[in-house]
Amino acid sequence: VLPKRTVSSVNSVEDLLKLVTLICAAAAAAILVWYLARRPPLGRVTKVLLLLGLGLLPVLVALTGNIAGYEFTLSRQFCGSCHVMGPYIRDAADPNSQSLAAIHSRNHKFGDQSCYTCHADYEMFGAITTKMTGLKHLYYYVTEYAGTGPDGEGGPPIKLYKRQDLEKKKVTQEVFNQRMNGVCGQCHSTYAATWVEKHGAFADDVRSNAQICIDCHTEIHPTALSRRPGAQKTAAEVKK
Amino acid sequence: VTHQHVEKLVLISAIATLAALGLMVASIVFPHPLLLVLAMSVGQGLGTLSLALYLLAIALDLQGGRLVEDAPGASEAPPPPPPPAT
Repeated sequence: VLPKRTVSSVNSVEDLLKLVTLICAAAAAAILVWYLARRPPLGRVTKVLLLLGLGLLPVLVALTGNIAGYEFTLSRQFCGSCHVMGPYIRDAADPNSQSLAAIHSRNHKFGDQSCYTCHADYEMFGAITTKMTGLKHLYYYVTEYAGTGPDGEGGPPIKLYKRQDLEKKKVTQEVFNQRMNGVCGQCHSTYAATWVEKHGAFADDVRSNAQICIDCHTEIHPTALSRRPGAQKTAAEVKK
Repeated sequence: VTHQHVEKLVLISAIATLAALGLMVASIVFPHPLLLVLAMSVGQGLGTLSLALYLLAIALDLQGGRLVEDAPGASEAPPPPPPPAT
């Protein structure tokens, strides 16, 4: 029987998966510790129990743990676990901020997953390519940003990967424009009456990706400390 | 392959699985990027390896049993027990 408090704190599929993961892991660990402590002969019952403890339950732990882990990686809290993201995360959560990130974060469709919703690749295998890029983020975080100031002061400037791909000529301008407008186009169809009214002169250019949304809508995030001129200063110097 | 080898394989498999479970649970309880990546790579690799070791151990154990059965004289009826001393 699970404690009442544990059950009442399960509010989402992610929480439920975490609970299943922990229960399966505890059951598998109990079987394994029993085997290691008692070392019973390898009879039929022991073999079946070990198959549970070594095979079935750990596979369940891996499956549910993977899904729960993946779900957590979509959250803003996860993106904020690297300190260099501090200015972006604080802005996204600021109810008074008028940046695009903050406005979108206040929309419940984005909500707690606002970073992922806009930064994920939207193509067919977008989730996979996004997570591959995430591994690159982690590598650069550990090698270049780990020792930087509270908001990443002193580290190299943070640049969007899609922009870097364009600068390094890994993608053409056309593909870059498609990707950038594709993100906004997930919600903004460019056919709503109010949108047409405001963008009439550029509507066809935006639809054909000749012009990208962020050419005009530049206030996406507040410029993070690490991107400001003279960003190589330490946190103490910035305060002075 | 002796019975001791089989037991050793199961022992290694059990310890490796415990380590893998530890990593996977840690990534759930403390969801830090590095831990998540470790759990999804090292943790699951270790778990898969230990399951493979266990299956190998069981296969060797079964094969060992069959070898004993196939050994000369193993299939013959066991000798009758000695008569009780009177």
